[in-house]
This record gives sequence, C-alpha cells and structure tokens, in this order.
Amino acid sequence: MQPKVSQTPMEKPDKDDEALQMKARLDRLSSALEAKNKSISSASDSSDPVAGGNIGRTMSLGFRVLSEFVAGIIVGCLMGWQFDEWFSTSPLFLILFLALGTAAGFWNVYRIAAAPTQPGKTDQ
Amino acid sequence: MAAEQAIDPIHQFNIVPLFADHVGTVTFTNASLFMVIIVGLISLLMIYGTSTSAMVPGRLQAAAEMAYEFVASTVRGSAGTEGMRFFPLVFSLFMFVLFSNLVGLVPYTFTVTSQIIVTFAFAALVIGVVIVYGVIRHGAHFLHLFVPSGVAPALMPFIVLIEVISFISRPISLSVRLFANMLAGHITLKVFGGFVTLMIGAGALTAIASILPLAAIVMLTAFELLVAFLQAYVFAILTCVYLNDAIHPGH
Repeated sequence: MQPKVSQTPMEKPDKDDEALQMKARLDRLSSALEAKNKSISSASDSSDPVAGGNIGRTMSLGFRVLSEFVAGIIVGCLMGWQFDEWFSTSPLFLILFLALGTAAGFWNVYRIAAAPTQPGKTDQ
Repeated sequence: MAAEQAIDPIHQFNIVPLFADHVGTVTFTNASLFMVIIVGLISLLMIYGTSTSAMVPGRLQAAAEMAYEFVASTVRGSAGTEGMRFFPLVFSLFMFVLFSNLVGLVPYTFTVTSQIIVTFAFAALVIGVVIVYGVIRHGAHFLHLFVPSGVAPALMPFIVLIEVISFISRPISLSVRLFANMLAGHITLKVFGGFVTLMIGAGALTAIASILPLAAIVMLTAFELLVAFLQAYVFAILTCVYLNDAIHPGH
C-alpha cells in the first residue's frame, strides 16, 4: 500500500479509472448485500431470531407449553381452595375451579400454538 | 469436605450472609454480591462499549451494539414500534437475566436466577407494569382483555373466568420456568460431577469409566450455555407479548 500512495501523482489517469472501478465494485457489493439481507430476513421471518440450537429452541418451547399448562391448573386449584376456605363449602369451588383452571391451561397452550408471534398488532 | 460437597448438589443454592448477620436492617449475602457483580459487568459492557463509538466497532462495542439491536428487534417484532417505550425495561430485564445465567455457569459462582423469589419479583414487576400501564392508558377498556368478542352470552361468565385464571397464571409460569430451568441445569451438572468423584474413589475399573460422566458434563455445560441464553430470550419476548396486551387490549 505504502509505495502506491507515494506514486499517485504519476498515475493520475490510472487512478481515476481505479476509482470508477472501485465505485462500480462497491455498488455491486452493496446491491448483493441488500439482496442477501432480504433473503435472510424472509427466511428467518417464520422462526425465532435465535441462530442455531434447534434442540434447545424446541426444548424451550416444550418447557413453555408445560409450564403454561401446569400454571393454569395450579392457579385454578389455589383459587378454588381459597374460595372454599372463605365460604366453607368444602369441595364445591375446588372442583369447579380445577375444571376452569384446566380449561385455562388448555387455552394458554392453544394461544401458544395458534399465534407463536404477533408482530405488532395494529389498533382495530 | 470436597466429597461432601459433591454428594450435596443443593449446597450451591445456599444463601450465606457475607459480613455480619445484619448491617442495619440489610443483610448482604452472596446473592446480593453476585447481583452487584452482574450489574457492574453490564454497566461495564454498555458504558465502555459505547464510549468509543468507532465506525468499525471493536469487540466490546460490537457486543454492546448486538445486544441493543437484538432486544430492539425483539421488542419491535412482538410489541410493535409503540412497544419501544418499554425498551429500557425489557433491555434491563434481558441483560440482567442473561448475565446472571451466564455468570452462574462459572464454577464457584452463585446463580441469582436459581432463586424463585428473584424470578418471581421480575415477573411481578412485568405484570404490575402491564396492569398499571393498561389501566392508565385505556381505563375500563383494559378489562376488554378478559372479554373476547364474538362469544355466546351464555358462555361469557365461564370464558371471563378462564381468561382471568389464564392472566393470573402468567407471572407464575414466567417465573417458575426461568427458576426451574436454572435450578435443574445446575443440579444436573453437580450430580454428574458427583458421579465422577464417586467412580474414581470406587476402584480402578470404574475410575477409567468415570470419563463418561466427565464427557457428559462437558456436553451439558455447552447445553446449559444455550439454555442460559434461550431462557433470557424467552423471558424478554414474553415480557413483550404481555406488554403488547397492555398496549392493545381486547384484540
């Protein structure tokens, strides 16, 4: 690089040519980069932006489904138990809210399956 | 002492006061120490990484910019551009969870996110922000979150109850998932480490075979690294999804 810089005055016409070539090359490169970015973004649109780790991603999704389902049942159970404590109607609310909690757990799982990501919902 | 530690895989989660029992009303434990370390590391990364702002970023600057871009695209993707007003909250949560997961993987450290009270505090913060912002922004209209449109009137009470239970279950599933993942991973690592020491102690033949659990530890550590990142990501993206509910209830 160093000797070329010192010779620049002598190869003036050469240098213009070089600059034009460089500009064309840069244009080519940037258009190629844009096309590549577009294809990458369209390819990864459907999946999470986490690169690699298919097993890990699947496991974390599975764990998410499990925890949402179990959390629904547990919350229903606890609510029913507490209502029974307050109104002393021992198994009535527990059974009712256990069923509702199970339904809520299924509803959670359904929501995960139906809409994995909701990209920026617009106001309706 | 070493054998005892290997046999007790829960030992790593003990919370010990570091200096005295109390300094005033505050007890400074190993958990507090690691929280301070995590906040210090994040501040170091972000302040030092953004101080140069060179055109061609160095390693630290590239890491800081990547963290920003990653969280920003996550927030925009799942809560829309309006969700960007919550970017500081999501970014802080993501970085804290990520760094505490990663720091916890270093031997002899303490994993802050393996304490359910820490993860539940984060989840309660998220749900609190969702409720407060939803009520301030939409008032009574926020309750439309629990009343989906197009449901038969006869079914409405059940649907509303199910929606309420589903909403209450969110902070629980959010906190338990992160806590359980970190707890289970670290216990698994410690149990396999216990296998190695026990097999070396048991005789010549098993000592040779102890290379197997050692190899398993290496693989598990790599897997735990992935889990550490994925759980922080899942926490951040679910925060965004819940905040999206606060911004647009009753869709």
